[in-house]
Amino acid sequence: MPMNEKRCVITGLGLVCAIGNNTDECFESALTGKSGIADVKSFDTSACYSHKGAEVDSTNEQLANGKYDRTTALGIKAAGEALADAGIDKDSEDASDIGVILGSCIAGAACVEKYYNAKVKGEKGDIDDLKAMPASAIAGNVADYYNAGGITANIVNACAAGTLSVAMAIDLIRGGKGEIFLAGGCDSFSSLAYAGFHALRALAPSDCSPFNHSDGITLGEGAGVLVVESYEHAVKRGAKIYCDVLGSGVSSDAYHITAPRPDGEGQMSVITRAVNNSGLKFTDIEYVNAHGTGTAKNDESEFLSLNTVFADNKDLSVSSTKSMTGHCLGAAGAIEAVLTVKALTEGKLPPTTGYSEEDLKVLAEKSGNINFIANKPLEKDIKYAMSNSFAFGGNNASIVFAKDPNLLNLTCPKQELYVTGVGIVSGEFDEESGSFVAKLDTDTFKSYGVKSAFLRKLDRLSQLQLLSGLKALEDAGVTVTSENEGIIGICIGTNDGPMTEIANFQKGIIKDGIDKGSAFAFPNTVYNAAGGYLSIATGIKGYNVTIANGFQSGLQSVCAAAGAIMFGYESIMLASGTDECTDIDEEMYADLGLAGEGKMTLGEGSVTCVIEKDSSATERGAKRYAKIAGFSSTRDTAGDRSDNTRLSEAALTKAIENVLEEGGVKASDVKCIYGFGNGIPEIDSFEKEAYKKIFGDGIEVKLVKKDFGEARAASSSLQFAKLAQDIYEGKFENGIAVSYGTSALYSAVLLTKA
Amino acid sequence: MNNEIAEKIKGMLVERLRIPEDELEYDSELFGEDIGLDSIDSIEIIVGIENLFGVDISGAGATREDFRSIETLTAFVEAHKED
Repeated sequence: MPMNEKRCVITGLGLVCAIGNNTDECFESALTGKSGIADVKSFDTSACYSHKGAEVDSTNEQLANGKYDRTTALGIKAAGEALADAGIDKDSEDASDIGVILGSCIAGAACVEKYYNAKVKGEKGDIDDLKAMPASAIAGNVADYYNAGGITANIVNACAAGTLSVAMAIDLIRGGKGEIFLAGGCDSFSSLAYAGFHALRALAPSDCSPFNHSDGITLGEGAGVLVVESYEHAVKRGAKIYCDVLGSGVSSDAYHITAPRPDGEGQMSVITRAVNNSGLKFTDIEYVNAHGTGTAKNDESEFLSLNTVFADNKDLSVSSTKSMTGHCLGAAGAIEAVLTVKALTEGKLPPTTGYSEEDLKVLAEKSGNINFIANKPLEKDIKYAMSNSFAFGGNNASIVFAKDPNLLNLTCPKQELYVTGVGIVSGEFDEESGSFVAKLDTDTFKSYGVKSAFLRKLDRLSQLQLLSGLKALEDAGVTVTSENEGIIGICIGTNDGPMTEIANFQKGIIKDGIDKGSAFAFPNTVYNAAGGYLSIATGIKGYNVTIANGFQSGLQSVCAAAGAIMFGYESIMLASGTDECTDIDEEMYADLGLAGEGKMTLGEGSVTCVIEKDSSATERGAKRYAKIAGFSSTRDTAGDRSDNTRLSEAALTKAIENVLEEGGVKASDVKCIYGFGNGIPEIDSFEKEAYKKIFGDGIEVKLVKKDFGEARAASSSLQFAKLAQDIYEGKFENGIAVSYGTSALYSAVLLTKA
Repeated sequence: MNNEIAEKIKGMLVERLRIPEDELEYDSELFGEDIGLDSIDSIEIIVGIENLFGVDISGAGATREDFRSIETLTAFVEAHKED
């Protein structure tokens, strides 16, 4: 069966935000125009020019069991409702296959605040807060909470993350990498985001007013989770089906780190991609849940995009539910996806609220063909609905839901994929810090045409990423032009993301006050800034996703990049793994008790590989390092699920077995493994024993971390890149790169001679 | 031009906006080809100057021209600074 013919359906919904504690409550509030916006309670905003927020009126104990960061607790709450709605018992066989893909923008920001509040006072921070800070912890914790044994991913593309998570779930199902996923997003209210948007003067002085006064956003918090499932799986277990999720689009603006393109090009591109991917026409879409943040820049470009791309659609209704929920950042797209599914299936479309009589007159004048639903809900029987999200970094995402699956008639043949370029930025041992540190100098960037006026904006993580991306493009002989800018994409994996920028920004507002955040530093606190800058610097306008999911993220980025090509989104993908090593990282890992004598030695770097489909590589006459013969991520919930650093031989073995099966290669024929050993004795001996059982004694195991340190996601990417180089140099004909992440997640990629 | 104020503004731009010190002259076009600042940087300059001199250059009616260079910013601060 051609892959895109595999139907994906929604079988469960979960929602918590300022307008309700569950899906039905939230939907009812959205229809009646009940706003969740009120004066901020979480922290003191008296020094700020704005005091509004859309907070959830439940404690962490009420949301989950009080043991998690608030972002994760919100995710647990919504995921629990979605599972129950889908009729799945967490201890049943159905639960053991469920994957968890969650979006987040600010991740464990509440724990970041708590941890650095203690540190600034000179106290020892709480280790549990430290563990909960990175986005890498979220999906694994939610999965472990519900005994969901499928693969996990945290999608960290800022305000597009919730929508991208649903898009990725569809891709994984259609690519045969899973049958059922909890997909969505979660983000808590945080002083970090409040101070950041305050610094950018992007907060509305009062309640936000999308497509109306457009004088800023009102931040919110919450989580939305959807059960996304293959139709066959849903039917087999007798599930109730809400609707189909037809397709998705992902694009990059390649324009600015915070502002959308004024001409709406990236937004129109993503809408077009989603409509095409869904096998529809622009005139089929009857409702759009808009991004509609309420900033002048967003609303103007979105008005323009919608009016242009849907110019021939005479029956389109649009609203922004952020007028009630606030802007819930990484949860926003997921919350809006849940509301869109409800609107579609109940034939009741929620309004944008807050229009006066005078405002309504202005709206009528500027709306054009489009019916911007204002103040009151619209009863309308519709078949197709779209939900859009546009984020910092210029990331755009769009998904399409449908009551009628029959129009879907796309084919997507399996593609042969090759590694056609490698760009490595790695560290050298630094006596003073005791870590492996990379050299980044302005002249190197200048040689690639990067001006210092641009470079100065980039934090260290983004500079590492940019350099490896530029090196990889150069090595592959790819020049980004107006002809190919839309068929090249980016997929970045990271463990800690921009934790240095996050910590320094948080420490700054603890010291100077929430009203004194740095507008310059804030954009770099989002995990997808590095991907955004890479897109801006190179002009790449295709797919763009950042995954934060433990040390194996660099390999998972290869898996996601391969998926993006297989579904026909792109012809060429840059797959990267990037992590930095700064004073902040060194302090964090020392506090965790993981770095130091007899433990791992930290490193940093960024490694980007160019992954390309056969036809594109042939057309360009590209050098082929190796063929990607199989890729797999697997997880296991056996053992102590409260320990997200547990190891699992079963999951590691399964990932390897999967790639061998996919590539048609016998274990006895595998010549080399690029492993993940990092000097921690428990991990090194675990890995050695597992390989011995699968491959016997003779297998050659290469460990890059001995020479470059534990550079986390950069290390897992480096394993992949080195393997590709070895095969290209004829050292052997095949090999596997393997790495591990939190909550017993493992990824493996099999490369063979091209 | 008050060199003391200009030097403080220069130091603030180097620290807060990571502009390479050797590329920044008093007459460099901050928002032009020379340095390439944008709208986010201008917000940072407003906060930086308020912290340094207690002058709210946005509230005091600074124009685009006042943001042109360290020289013009210095002149604006000099004119609005309360001693």
